[in-house]
Amino acid sequence: MIAWYEANVVLIQSMFISLLLALSIQVPFRAGVFSLAGIGSYGVGAYTAAIVTLQLGWPPFAAIGAGMLLAAVIAYLLALVLARLSGLYLGMATIAYSLILSVVVINGGELTGGAQGLFGAVSDLQTGHVVAVAVAAVALLALSERGRLGRWIDTVREDPELAVSVGVPVAAIRQLSFVVGGLLGACAGAMNTLLRTTVTPEEVGFHLVVLALTMIIVGGSRSWAGALIGAVVFTWLPTVLAFVGEWQTLVYGVVVAVAAIFVPTGILGLAQDFVRRLRRPALQGGRS
Amino acid sequence: MAQNLLNALTLGSLYLLFALGMSLAWGTIGILNFAHGSIFMFAAFTGHLLVQQVALPLPVVLLIGTAVGAALSVLAQVLAFEPIQRRARDHRRAELQILVGGIGIATIPLAIAQHATKSVPFGFTGSTFQVEVYRLGPVQLTNVQLVILGAAAVLTGVLAWWLRSARTGLALRSIGVDAEVATMMGVNRRGLAMATMAVAGALAGIAGVLLTYYLGSIAAESGDSFLIKAFAAIVLGGIGSIGGAVAGAMILALAETVVLTQTSGMWVDAVSFGLIFAVLVLRPRGLFGRKEVRRT
Repeated sequence: MIAWYEANVVLIQSMFISLLLALSIQVPFRAGVFSLAGIGSYGVGAYTAAIVTLQLGWPPFAAIGAGMLLAAVIAYLLALVLARLSGLYLGMATIAYSLILSVVVINGGELTGGAQGLFGAVSDLQTGHVVAVAVAAVALLALSERGRLGRWIDTVREDPELAVSVGVPVAAIRQLSFVVGGLLGACAGAMNTLLRTTVTPEEVGFHLVVLALTMIIVGGSRSWAGALIGAVVFTWLPTVLAFVGEWQTLVYGVVVAVAAIFVPTGILGLAQDFVRRLRRPALQGGRS
Repeated sequence: MAQNLLNALTLGSLYLLFALGMSLAWGTIGILNFAHGSIFMFAAFTGHLLVQQVALPLPVVLLIGTAVGAALSVLAQVLAFEPIQRRARDHRRAELQILVGGIGIATIPLAIAQHATKSVPFGFTGSTFQVEVYRLGPVQLTNVQLVILGAAAVLTGVLAWWLRSARTGLALRSIGVDAEVATMMGVNRRGLAMATMAVAGALAGIAGVLLTYYLGSIAAESGDSFLIKAFAAIVLGGIGSIGGAVAGAMILALAETVVLTQTSGMWVDAVSFGLIFAVLVLRPRGLFGRKEVRRT
């Protein structure tokens, strides 16, 4: 067990970071907000953490906190500016925001290290810390899926007009989903930078949008569990697919396409359907 | 100055050829095809493979690109987008699935081309076509640029005429307004959707082949950047509007040329992203978009 852990520690770290990244997209999705700003927040967190560690020598949790704070402020401003948009338009506007950031850091001069990025952001952040943060985030999100807040969020997604009419604060919940997504994305980015000690502009490009989106779609977008499934699948899939060698990206594409076409609710949705089918005969005496 | 203007016009024509089909499919049958860039690249790549075997002239390579583009686009429609639209519960869900499905499909041709070329840029070195340079006063014009400008003008004109005047064009536009009523009026939705995707793919294939002739060689990843740029052009002009696509493509190409020649650094890519963001915030229906356009 310990030998396995030591051999795979990098993958385990990236699994929890992917989980936080996937959650940063999944939280707005759950409120019916098709925002991919979490990817931009990942970049904000990654670069902020690297800059304050390199230039000011801040300890890791202060660096992560600084990144999360900045990303949350930007996410709140985005939520205000983009309040009119929904659906694909919102998605593309937030993708554009994330991609602009990658151009900005390439042109950022000494502060962001240009095309080479920043390196040498050494800290004493450990795997245990990352796991603890991820577990705490998941626990809080699991709580938000229950009780009144959970019902509010579901209503905002399924029928915003109805939600307004029964007094659910729709605008506030949408803004909150932006901010929470920003916090989670920045947390993932900052921790990734501090673990790897480097950050480059390529890391925060379009492929990260694709990765986050596919984790959610394959895993399931309705619950934190879907993000967890997606993070586990896409962290370990490359090792499972090692035998296909160079054709890995092709298989990856096929998996994503098939999931999008045939399994729109994700693996989580399939599992829930399966459980429901198992339970139903027991409850209703075999009749359907 | 005049030279820059001409180059911007050529670049704009390439964006236009690429964006036209995307805009048409999105504005009428509601499919935003994220595999469009991959199809564009793969059409040029197929041309490259054939040209390595046989010395072909430009028109034949163009025809091959057109056919490959149309075939791949129809394949994506049959295998992915049509099943998604048939099964999806609501419009918004379908949109998201089409987006992600398109991203998944896009990686397949990309992976094949990257594998075959080892990610080295490819071109049409075996083609019998020779680039000729004409000098008109201070301006240099190549025969490739002439073909690009001509193709963009003619194809845009034909498409605009077809949508405006032909019976099938009218039927297609009616799907964009209200798909259910259109079906009740006897519009063959499935057939028209196929035809639209075929036209979109063919235009992407033409753009891919012409870009490769223009630049000499392209990389397998060129499709991705074209996709974002075409998206910016479409959003700027207004979705589904032919005039809008023309204006959007030309404005984007001009703005990029200005940024490229007037500033140092690598800000060019920020132009398209910034345009997308600014237009969506300030005027979501674009310059020429219809007011009643669905925005959900």
